[in-house]
Amino acid sequence: MTTTATATFTYSHTVGFLAYRGRGFIHPVDLTLGDGGVMHVLNRGGAESVGRLDLKRVCVCTADEGYIGEWGAGGTEAGQFWWPSAIAQGGDGQIYVTDESLQRVNVFGPDGEFIRHWGETGDGPGQINRPADIIFAPDGSLLVSDGMNHRIQRFTVDGEYLGGWGSYGAQAGQFNTPWRLACDTDGNVFVADWRNDRVQAFTPEGRFVGQWGVSGDGKGQLNRPSAVAVDDEGYIYVADWGNERVQIFAPDGEVAAILLGDATTSSWAEDYLAANPDEQRARREANLAPTVSPWRDHHRETSAGVEARFWGPTAVNLDDEGRIFIVDSCRHRVQIYRKNS
Amino acid sequence: MTLTSNPQLGAARIALADDVSIRAAHLLRRAGFTPTRAEIDRAVGRGYEATVDELLHPEDRPDLEIEDLIRRYHVDQNSLMLLESSQGYWMYRIINSQRPLEEKIALFWHGLFATAYGKLNHAKAVVNQTHTFRRHGLGKFADILVELSRDPAMIFWLDNKDNHRDAPNENYGRELLELFSMGIGNYTEADVKAAARAFTGWTIDNTEYMSIRASRDSFWPYGRIDWQFRYREDDHDDTEKTFLGHTGPLSGQDVIDIIVKQPATAHYIAGKLYNFFVSDRPDEEAIGILADEFIRTDGDIRAVMRCMFMSDFFADEAVRLGRVKSPAELVGGTARLAGSHQSPEWTISNLAMDVNFMGQEILNPPTVEGWHTGMEWIDTGNLVERINAAGAEMRDTARPGVRAIIERVKTRGDRLEPRQLAEACLDAMGMFEVSDGTMDSLVALAAPWGEVRFDRADTVACAEERVVEMLQLIVASREYQLA
Repeated sequence: MTTTATATFTYSHTVGFLAYRGRGFIHPVDLTLGDGGVMHVLNRGGAESVGRLDLKRVCVCTADEGYIGEWGAGGTEAGQFWWPSAIAQGGDGQIYVTDESLQRVNVFGPDGEFIRHWGETGDGPGQINRPADIIFAPDGSLLVSDGMNHRIQRFTVDGEYLGGWGSYGAQAGQFNTPWRLACDTDGNVFVADWRNDRVQAFTPEGRFVGQWGVSGDGKGQLNRPSAVAVDDEGYIYVADWGNERVQIFAPDGEVAAILLGDATTSSWAEDYLAANPDEQRARREANLAPTVSPWRDHHRETSAGVEARFWGPTAVNLDDEGRIFIVDSCRHRVQIYRKNS
Repeated sequence: MTLTSNPQLGAARIALADDVSIRAAHLLRRAGFTPTRAEIDRAVGRGYEATVDELLHPEDRPDLEIEDLIRRYHVDQNSLMLLESSQGYWMYRIINSQRPLEEKIALFWHGLFATAYGKLNHAKAVVNQTHTFRRHGLGKFADILVELSRDPAMIFWLDNKDNHRDAPNENYGRELLELFSMGIGNYTEADVKAAARAFTGWTIDNTEYMSIRASRDSFWPYGRIDWQFRYREDDHDDTEKTFLGHTGPLSGQDVIDIIVKQPATAHYIAGKLYNFFVSDRPDEEAIGILADEFIRTDGDIRAVMRCMFMSDFFADEAVRLGRVKSPAELVGGTARLAGSHQSPEWTISNLAMDVNFMGQEILNPPTVEGWHTGMEWIDTGNLVERINAAGAEMRDTARPGVRAIIERVKTRGDRLEPRQLAEACLDAMGMFEVSDGTMDSLVALAAPWGEVRFDRADTVACAEERVVEMLQLIVASREYQLA
């Protein structure tokens, strides 16, 4: 196969800062991209002790680091989060948040006011067990990655069940704990088939089309892919979670780029460091990319020791300006890259 | 409290028990965490010696199979930034690992080389240290000490990052001798100073930045950064030193090689292993046997452990049920028995908190001396915690482990009288020996129920609830609090 990859990808900047409340993130797992570069960043927080429930929230900010506000809180009441896993925003501005512990979809207004929730625990049609992702299909329906039921289900925005496909297994069209989803403009569905170490593609009706990746950490191989995105030119972006990287496949299936993470300090981080000059000075003098002794899980340990690297990338989102937003869950930030066609 | 004053408990053996099962259960309790009945049966089937060898080679069994699931669903246990997240992570390992001795030996070394989050403000650094114990804990003691001396958490904990060629800091050198290898009285102050000088230059990268962050508990801007060991030759004192009678330009490695050859080290480590795995009460003859094996094998911990598990003193009735379970053993073991937390559940934090409430903050021991064990695990307050936590684990008939116990009880008959029910439950839990007093209490509980019947559809649910009530009383018994 001849590569036709022509695009290149360059690091742009980082948004975020570790914060339990207010301007920053704590274990972010997903985001939405809206008009004017407005982002809703979903923070899973943790652990689930009483004093840390407020960490679970949505931070509203912009891609150029403007802070707008926050809403939401941890808890088990209607409109609260326990294990928030995914966030999606409809054309009418309403926001949908899945919860893998409370087994439901919370629906909020554009400013975070709680409207309703839907979802029922179980493995029957329309029931859910650890809903890992939720996205809008081009036809306005909602696709839910039903993690522990190993299937994809389609709902109306009111939670009416429209259909679904998949079962537990490793054959084509089967899943093992699927995580995030993506749709192309034709409504074809891409699934990060997490524990099968692959990405699968389906027609809008759920017919298997193809797959990418085999287990491993080599070029083009995947280790527990968490998220997938696809752009207008057919490039496929895969958050290769277990390998702590993002791989970008060109339309011909070749690997066009491997991103390992290049984070720099955000303006929010710079504000903190400016207020703590001794820490700032010591940081400037430090080697933040030290040699790491790989003794166990090489990629993860490298990410834990080298701050700029991805650590637990859980979402990849694309905007219409060719920017790639990667949620860096264990580093409490979003790294942004740019595609140069 | 006379919990261990009579280690034989006046032991009434339940009618269903046999010597082979009793010995297997004893081994699995000590080398792991509260075995299930199925695990005891498997050990009986494999044979005692084969089971010992399997336990001693955890690398032959798969590592934790749900590690990826834990990290996915508990993002905080992927970053391991917070203490409670890290404690929850270790509870998962205790409950789900197919390598029980790997977890038990890690807990042993964690207690001996006690390193606490409280000073480090870096939970993952302590978790990383426990991984070192998993990798090397059954290996040569010299290798364990080398890894420990290179371990960033230990370097931070005992200030070896401040141990410089021109300004030695004796903290690590002193504890290495006093608490980690030889015990007090077997070396001089001059030896401490020499050891400290030998470990100059054993430090971590970016010492100043990491020290500032730790001192103010700063995880900004982007979370903790793993510390990395660094040997700085330009900060190492390579001049002549005299340590335990050996003279030369001794390095840290040289000091460890000398330490490991000391009879005092063999005796000290043998005593610690005996106390943790055999009995709360020392037996000098048995410790001497283990020390001899340590010397014979150049400090091969696996060989010493094998010697222990195969010994007569380990098999002696006098040591069975003669150790008080530590909180981690009790809580983790009961969760294993009940079959809870076999996949990620947020309530793992509650289990970790239970262990804390009982006086054992894993990853955050109170001092460099670790925890005071044995009867000191028990007081009137935490005994209630111990009983309540164990009872809560057993209360759900849907949990796989509880379910397995119920199904096994049913095989003892469709209709069980109170004593039959008590014995069937004890057998299904792998508790083959209880005192007459405990048995009388269990029978008294069941007496008002009369015959418990599994043979009628309208009584099965009630009968299963009776089993659960019996299990909850059993885990409240004196015998269950012991290993």
